[in-house]
Amino acid sequence: MINILVVVEDNRGSMHRMSKEAIAGAQKIGGSITALVIGDNADTISNELSSIAIEKTLVVKHELVSSYNPDGYTEIVTQVIESTSPDMLVIGHTYQTRDFMPRVSARIDIPFIPDIIEVEQDIYTKQVLNSKLNSSVSSLSDMKILSFQSACFSAEDILTGRSSSQNFDVDLDPSIVRSISEEPFQESAAEVDLESAELIVSVGRGIEKEDNIPIAFTLAEVLGAEVSASRPVIDSGWLPSFRQIGSSGSAVSPKLYFSLGISGAIQHVVGMKGSKNIIAVNKDPDAPIFEIADYAVVGDLLEIVPKLIEALKTEKDL
Amino acid sequence: MIEREILELDVLFVGAGPASLAGAIHLQRLLRKSGQDASVGVLEKAGEVGAHSLSGAIVDPRALKELFPDKSVQDFPFEAEVSEEHLYYLTESRKIPFPFVPPSMSHHGCYVASLGKLTRWLGEACEKDGVDIFCGFAGTELIYDGDQIIGVRTGDRGIDKKGTKKQHFEPGADIHAKVVVLGEGTRGSLTKNFLHKHSLMKERNPQVWAVGVKELWQMPAGTVQPGFVAHTMGFPLGHDVFGGAFLYGMKNDIWDLGLVVGLDYKNPGVDSHHELQRLKTHPWIRSLLEGGKMVAYGAKSLPEGGWYSIPKLSVSGAMLIGDSAGFMNGQRLKGIHLAMKSGMLAAETITEAITENNFIETKLRDYEDRVKSSWIRDELWKVRNFHQGFDHGLIGGLTNAGIGLLTGGLGWGFKERLTSIAGHIRMEKGMKKDRYKDLQFDGKYLFDKVTDVYHSATAHEEDQVPHLHVNEPDICITKCVEEYGNPCKNFCPADVYEMVPDGDNQRLQINFSNCVHCKTCDIMDPYQIIDWVPPEGGDGPVWINL
Repeated sequence: MINILVVVEDNRGSMHRMSKEAIAGAQKIGGSITALVIGDNADTISNELSSIAIEKTLVVKHELVSSYNPDGYTEIVTQVIESTSPDMLVIGHTYQTRDFMPRVSARIDIPFIPDIIEVEQDIYTKQVLNSKLNSSVSSLSDMKILSFQSACFSAEDILTGRSSSQNFDVDLDPSIVRSISEEPFQESAAEVDLESAELIVSVGRGIEKEDNIPIAFTLAEVLGAEVSASRPVIDSGWLPSFRQIGSSGSAVSPKLYFSLGISGAIQHVVGMKGSKNIIAVNKDPDAPIFEIADYAVVGDLLEIVPKLIEALKTEKDL
Repeated sequence: MIEREILELDVLFVGAGPASLAGAIHLQRLLRKSGQDASVGVLEKAGEVGAHSLSGAIVDPRALKELFPDKSVQDFPFEAEVSEEHLYYLTESRKIPFPFVPPSMSHHGCYVASLGKLTRWLGEACEKDGVDIFCGFAGTELIYDGDQIIGVRTGDRGIDKKGTKKQHFEPGADIHAKVVVLGEGTRGSLTKNFLHKHSLMKERNPQVWAVGVKELWQMPAGTVQPGFVAHTMGFPLGHDVFGGAFLYGMKNDIWDLGLVVGLDYKNPGVDSHHELQRLKTHPWIRSLLEGGKMVAYGAKSLPEGGWYSIPKLSVSGAMLIGDSAGFMNGQRLKGIHLAMKSGMLAAETITEAITENNFIETKLRDYEDRVKSSWIRDELWKVRNFHQGFDHGLIGGLTNAGIGLLTGGLGWGFKERLTSIAGHIRMEKGMKKDRYKDLQFDGKYLFDKVTDVYHSATAHEEDQVPHLHVNEPDICITKCVEEYGNPCKNFCPADVYEMVPDGDNQRLQINFSNCVHCKTCDIMDPYQIIDWVPPEGGDGPVWINL
């Protein structure tokens, strides 16, 4: 049985979504899984980990890594690897990973295969050349570091169980930490996480004017969905830019994408074509969105959606 | 006061196209030969050399052979030698071969090429010769000391939509140089102001432009003959719009299909992108594209004016080369060799100037003399009245070209010099017949504009001040909508300009992130209120082999 080390990222006091996916991935790969949590919030996170089917959690607390800094993390992960000699280190491909993991790889000379989208035995698929091509990579080394792109594995597939945690003592020389992190950067998108939303109501130019935007929010509320938009709506300033879907916005793959008044220009479609189900409402029967929609409704959203909201409400009440 | 980094160079070329790159290579070698140590740099707004380069192209290898005397043609990054050439007149459904193709229009001994590949290759050669290329930096302003140009300021980064500084704001740098060589390409943004400020077009014909739009088509294996060349006149443009189509066979079964549309048409509804789509409804073109897939799109304007539209080329501390100066042979449909040669001639003058440590106009004027006694002049002189003839339509243009051919370049009425007027002035008020009412985009052979734009891979940082400045936006919704019906929607081949409902009225929406940097709007706007300035460095199309 192989030993897998998963480095878990702290996202403001709870486990990062992509760390959950990494754990699900490690469970799929199969083996004895050890999680590593670092920093001031380590106890809270190890508590989250205690109900997951892994071997154990290592907790590192040290004043030099009370919050993230690349030098401290590199040193700690290196020490943990040297002391536990895992066969594989698995992590979500976050900004933090991009920052410190190459240093670990270089420091102890083990290969790092980053940004993996698919795992098939020992063959890892990653995208290259602006995601135009997929490349299959395998490693000749006994030990390797793998990072998974968002949605490579699903956090829903995590197997629950019971695990314990123990402290791991590290030896940190203050001189190695050359930078101090500031407060975590507040992303404007923090309000909504479109990329992990399961249901999305998305509006386009067919909404006609800003005054009609609440219709989308009402529908979203009834469905329990997030609201996104295509470019013209964002450009008009009717919704903030973090809600934009498409080549210059987010790429999403929800279970249901409810497209309202969006024509379906290719720039938009590349951001949502991975949706499991697409329902499209558009006045124009020739709108390209209908080519990829699972359910097509030709009609005016301003007429249809209010009725749909009523119907859904009644359904809920029953 | 913002503190800017200052970089001291001896010579700075602006724009890494064939003119600047050939000039920089030639200059570096001449300086080395004369035992001088000078620093030469090239500024490029694209993220990498070649990403904003687009041309037909058929290349006359003359300048390349001069620049690389030790290399053979096989070493140049061409697609193929022209192996078969045709000239057709198209009607809506038929193609009629021209009975006679004059040798001056023949492409014998020339090569089908991708300008993107050629500039990348030249860029590598440049760096091997010790020239520094700064990619991802756009020149936004010329720096003066009195009348002497002493450098170029690059654009700031990190300014948001409203014009305020973002967290990662980075001021542009000042690059100082003894000579600034403007090789910005067609309708350069620095060049435009520079020509005006120094009155360099005095006594010249105004420059007239065309816009070329093209698509690359990946065809099934074994169906495209590399080096196959066809040019057409007639459909879809008709006789009143200058221009024609080209179809070139590239390596690896790629068709290079494009259309050049003169930016001096009368009907404000003309849309070069839509004309290219109409071209593909022709049965012959359609049959050639059968089973293929469109893989890339792009557009670029080109200077058609010829010899009499070339400005004065030097002032104190600066020179103009390549398309920025208008070195293009409209009859031969070629300019790359002229651009390269102009850069090389500028390099020769600069070498002398550095030796003499003299960079004022009286010295740099030597470049213009070199142009006049070079083969650039011989070639352009013979066709000096070519484009002006098309002011009288296709038949007039061809007749005039015939007169030129027989007389060594004379125009209508055996005149030495035909005059012209700027293209945007020719646009006529009032709505004309809709040329595209029957045009159906099927998504397979014919594409709407935004789909084509997607295939230009263009991208811009969204949170910045739009780089298309409309100086009097009221004109769009008061005057222009009445007089011309907002032709910006039509002449922009990238769907940048859009009139959207705004209450009971309309307003102009500028989708600047669609821009493919062709400069057509700056040229063709009938009120001349659009000013194209560079967006943040590195933004724009990402063309691989256009």
